[in-house]
Amino acid sequence: CFICLPVRSVDYASHSVLAMGLTSLDKIIALQRNPANTRNLCILAHVDHGKTTLADCLVASNGIISSRLAGKLRYLDSREDEQIRGITMKSSAISLHYSNGDQEYLLNLIDSPGHVDFSSEVSTAVRLCDGAIVVVDAVEGVCPQTQAVLRQAWLENIKPVLVINKIDRLIMELKLTSQEAYTHLQKILEQVNAVTGSLFTSKVLEEREEKESETSSGDQVYDWSTGLEEADDSQLYFSPDQGNVVFASAIDGWGFSIQQFAQIYSQRMGVRAEVLLKTLWGDFYLNAKAKKIMKGAQAKGKKQLFVQLVLDNIWSLYDAVVTRRDKEKVEKVVTSLGVKVMARDSRHSDPKVLLSAICSQWLPVSQAVLSMVCEKLPSPLDMAAEKVEKLMSVGARRFDLLPEQTQELKKAFLQCSSGEDAPAIVFVSKMFAVDTKALPQNRQRPLTQDEIAQRRELARQRHADRMTADQTATESQRDLTHSGNTSQDVQPAGLSTGTLNSTLFISFYFFKHTAEEEQKETFIAFARVYSGLVKKGQRVFVLGPKYDPAQGLSMLPEGCSASDCVPEVPYLSCCSMESLYLLMGRELEELEQVPAGNVLGIRGLEECVLKSATLSTSPACPPFTPLNFEATPIVRVAIEPKHPSEMPKLVRGMRLLNQADPCAEVLIQETGEHVLVTAGEVHLQRCLDDLRDRFAKIEISASKPIIPFRETVVRPPKVDMVNEDLGKQQKVAIIHQVKEEVTQGRSSDTLHVDPSGLVTVTIPNRMATVSVRAIPLPEEVTHLLERSTELIRSLEQVNMSLREGKTVDVSLRTMEAIAGLKAQLENLLQGRKWRNAVERIWAFGPRRYGPNFLLNSVEGYQRLSVWHCLGRGDKAGEAGAAVIRDFDNSIVSGFQLATLSGPMCEEPLMGVCFSVERWDVQSSAVPQHQDSLEENSISHEALANSRVEGSTKTSSEVEGTVAGQSQARRRPEAASADCYRPVSGQLIAAMKEACRRAFQAQPQRLMAAMYTCEIMATAEVLGRVYGVLGKREGRVLHEEMKEGTDMFIIKAVLPVAESFGFADEIRKRTSGLASPQLVFSHWEVISSDPHWVPTTEEEYLHFGEKADSANQALKYMNAVRRRKGLYVEEKIVEHAEKQRTLSKNK
Amino acid sequence: MSIFTPTNQIRLTNVAVVRMKKGGKRFEIACYKNKVMNWRAGAEKDLDEVLQTHSVFVNVSKGQVAKKDDLTKTFGTDDLTEICKQILAKGELQVSDKERHSQLETMFRDIATIVAEKCVNPETKRPYTVSLIERAMKDIHYSVKAGKSTKQQALEVIRQLKETMEIQRAHMRLRLVLPAKEGKRLKEKLKPLLQVVESEDFDEELEMVCLVDPGCFREIDELIRCETKGRGSLEVLSLKDVEEGEEKF
Repeated sequence: CFICLPVRSVDYASHSVLAMGLTSLDKIIALQRNPANTRNLCILAHVDHGKTTLADCLVASNGIISSRLAGKLRYLDSREDEQIRGITMKSSAISLHYSNGDQEYLLNLIDSPGHVDFSSEVSTAVRLCDGAIVVVDAVEGVCPQTQAVLRQAWLENIKPVLVINKIDRLIMELKLTSQEAYTHLQKILEQVNAVTGSLFTSKVLEEREEKESETSSGDQVYDWSTGLEEADDSQLYFSPDQGNVVFASAIDGWGFSIQQFAQIYSQRMGVRAEVLLKTLWGDFYLNAKAKKIMKGAQAKGKKQLFVQLVLDNIWSLYDAVVTRRDKEKVEKVVTSLGVKVMARDSRHSDPKVLLSAICSQWLPVSQAVLSMVCEKLPSPLDMAAEKVEKLMSVGARRFDLLPEQTQELKKAFLQCSSGEDAPAIVFVSKMFAVDTKALPQNRQRPLTQDEIAQRRELARQRHADRMTADQTATESQRDLTHSGNTSQDVQPAGLSTGTLNSTLFISFYFFKHTAEEEQKETFIAFARVYSGLVKKGQRVFVLGPKYDPAQGLSMLPEGCSASDCVPEVPYLSCCSMESLYLLMGRELEELEQVPAGNVLGIRGLEECVLKSATLSTSPACPPFTPLNFEATPIVRVAIEPKHPSEMPKLVRGMRLLNQADPCAEVLIQETGEHVLVTAGEVHLQRCLDDLRDRFAKIEISASKPIIPFRETVVRPPKVDMVNEDLGKQQKVAIIHQVKEEVTQGRSSDTLHVDPSGLVTVTIPNRMATVSVRAIPLPEEVTHLLERSTELIRSLEQVNMSLREGKTVDVSLRTMEAIAGLKAQLENLLQGRKWRNAVERIWAFGPRRYGPNFLLNSVEGYQRLSVWHCLGRGDKAGEAGAAVIRDFDNSIVSGFQLATLSGPMCEEPLMGVCFSVERWDVQSSAVPQHQDSLEENSISHEALANSRVEGSTKTSSEVEGTVAGQSQARRRPEAASADCYRPVSGQLIAAMKEACRRAFQAQPQRLMAAMYTCEIMATAEVLGRVYGVLGKREGRVLHEEMKEGTDMFIIKAVLPVAESFGFADEIRKRTSGLASPQLVFSHWEVISSDPHWVPTTEEEYLHFGEKADSANQALKYMNAVRRRKGLYVEEKIVEHAEKQRTLSKNK
Repeated sequence: MSIFTPTNQIRLTNVAVVRMKKGGKRFEIACYKNKVMNWRAGAEKDLDEVLQTHSVFVNVSKGQVAKKDDLTKTFGTDDLTEICKQILAKGELQVSDKERHSQLETMFRDIATIVAEKCVNPETKRPYTVSLIERAMKDIHYSVKAGKSTKQQALEVIRQLKETMEIQRAHMRLRLVLPAKEGKRLKEKLKPLLQVVESEDFDEELEMVCLVDPGCFREIDELIRCETKGRGSLEVLSLKDVEEGEEKF
């Protein structure tokens, strides 16, 4: 039931409950001061295993909600969609009071979501706790998320206790006998322990590996032992006799641990409680004759002690109350248990009501769970030193390498003292948004006597005012009617109502204004104090995740505090905590100060804290290790407002959402898309709802993000699609081939394509021709160029300024890097074809820094190389081709335009080299130009003209846009312009056309963006993972088993174009046992040719005449073309005869 | 004379007629609907999927076949298929519904793509996405004109969109170098054309880096060239002044 979200709708709004219940705020404040009796714990489990229901029972024990409603209300699910969907979506905290004998405890309970999409919320909860209650469904057993939360608890070093929930389902649904139920429970316990065990072994193996790598040199003796034998793991496992397991049915309100029964029976049977405790769980039976507890119940076919003494009682109770509804028996049971049942419960038509009335008094679940929690889970004082070190050492840094002052802070952690002198250390694990109206200071409170008096006075005043106003109005009216002027009658009355209106308006405006203020969301930090006493209004340092205490300490003056003015230290800021709150589920209670070891909410940090942070009064404190998230966000959608004018609201809303959600990522892409990345579909839905209803308050739409492609050329293939050698075969001429041949070998008067792929283009006025050839670049070169984008960009800048004769001081390192790049290129471009190619590089493109280049292969044309900034560029040959030099820029611009959008689907090119092999500017152009040289003014003009046009790359665009104007203003005096356009402009167009044609003359391919995809999966779902990957064109690179666990790690690549919905599908198909992570890795050539049609006989046989089997590249290309509104070669109707042509009214 | 009653009236339902006037005579061929444009674009390669019959008519709806003499006289051949191909390529036709629909849709997309390429959100200096522009175009009820070029229509759309949303042409960044003499005078003239002046350096020459609307480029170019007699110069630093790279919140 991983995906199914049952709708348990409960009208929760009607239950108005008193937040503090029976325990007063003062009591809790008093309890907060005693860390020894404080427990910070969270409830973890798989989705729908009953976390929130259990939390309800615990909350009910404090009288915050009625025990009747416990399990139905789900008090901690305060969001509307949580209630509607019936799953928890956020972690929320509540402070509970529990007294066990003479000891009084404060429990800071955090309920967490179980759905995998919200595992980030689990991380935020787990970080703040010392212990955890792991809930397991007695029917479903260990589920994927159970494993995940156990792992999370393990990684954060927190101690878990186990609650096996929903035992009633074993009785009522599965109809197991008590004996069967016992074996079932045993199995579940084994499953849970197996998970813990594997976590333990993997840790031991890891430690061993580390040790080995440290000491590997030296001793050659191989150590056979894995270290597992020595490591003690007995404390880790769950076992009822250890007292860390509770059997419960939270919905019926009962639960017990072995201890409770041991105590009951030790009194009744006269056996020592300790003996019973050891034997109550396990293969023991009661020998009635010998009055002895014996071993080996299973072998002898006897009932185990647990079955006989515990389960049978419960089974008979269920039998009597629910199944048979035997009134007399019930009464007997009730009296024997010493329980009081109210008459209305016993008369209720639903037997469950009676059952829970009996059970919740007989074996109250809150009692069992809370006492276990208080006994077994550590208090903040018992925090393990190991955990502290882990928290404080960020990344790979070892704890003992931290500054000394920082290491001293460890003591503060361990002492957990709330003294005035102890440094305050607080960790904020998430920020959550609260309606400003819900804050305690804005909440409606009962009015004090004074206030009531004041208000009464105000009301009286207002009334008096109104009376006088009325009087004057009527008086004036009377006057006027006396004068008999009926036409003016209306006016004064209108006036008086006017004034009245304006006062009304003012008050209305005031209300509206405050309402607007109130609508805003306030961010509250979900945090825990680890040391020191936190006071309202206190100023603290906010330590960013990259803050380095060593650096901070050296930069800050000795003994400096956050209230001083702080010098600039990276990743450090100051902030004051405006108010502190006690978190009580939906409600917040304002506090003046919070001592160490407690969970709290802090207001006033939204400016400094994005999602999580460490706060401290001491700059020596290191930032805590970042939260480790089980699920990384991978579902990407593009978000747009329904109405384009609401863009600013959307941006603001997305900013808020980003802060309020620990896992969601928000980014704006270069294309202008606003992309939201979430952990899964349910999470996405929640984020969209939040955006719509809370943060942006506008209509939005989410869609598939735009997928980028690249275009490239490859070497002509040697074999055809059926792997036959191409050379030997005869091409089959078919009808549709003929047409293509015509376009291939077309040579109009301005364009000529020769069979070797050399394209010659002449500009319309026949004054210049240019010949270009496209050559595929080796893959390594493309990669290198792509990696060194920044470098090429700076190279271009240096060149630009050098050209203008300016001197620029470039750092030596940049120059070295440029020289290094050149050397690497030379190294990669070897062979006859590339001889001296690197020296001849003319320009990079697109945008002057892309992964394509232009090669100067013109004979006799020497130009400055792009590397001339390296100082070796000789100026020889500059004079030789001065005529065409003026148009140098036009060629480059044409190349830039061509590489920016390729002919396949107007996407940028990648890994293509254009080699200019011939370039003539015919004499008819030159004399004109030379003539103009004599006339000073005109030559300047021509030069300026060519320069402008050349560097703009836009002649076509600019002229397109101002076509009308330019028509009128076409300068008649321009020397080099004729009836077409200026030569330079024509040359740009010609060069662009030449590049495109040259590109098309080679075998073209599409390049797809690829994700690397890492999937963790268990062995049994491996096949399905492969299935999903295969369906989406993914390719598995390798898989390996994680040592010490049964998890496999699969590494695969997946086209970005196929990734939409991938995460969801893989989770669905593997019931959540596999969790993928996607990271963009590289561009990959799609092997199929988008323009491919069968040409050889073999291909004919294999694919048929039309070759309509799926062509991936064609599919992508057409999708992009369709999106951009380009022409797509597709038939509007496939079969002419089979269209519906009758119009509707005939 | 045939009696024109509903029963013996044959409706030409799946027929698109392509007409051509040549040599003073009118010739028609009977084709299938929604196919002729595909044939002309080269997407449909099978002639039998386009032509109902390989015969040439004088009037398709009346079923009058063209005389052989006329055909040889005007086309110089009596190969009907060849003549049909000629008429298909050059004749005039009524565009069928689906053809028109897909044509308009393609143009609509094209216009939106051009607008998205040319424009930015002035507040963030980031481009809008094509789908957002499409929606905005639908909101202002823009109707595509099949006869006008998409580029022209895109400029029209930008003008209209400005009224409903924050949008403007992406600015060009220009560097102007003006001789000192004319500098002051020219600056006054240029001022209304420049959107933002980013830097101004006045020593020997006046050097300005500024953002301008691409529509004004030609004017500025003209102004500088005419007024300074070629001594001033103009250089385009970037075509589109937009934010680059991804931004993470």
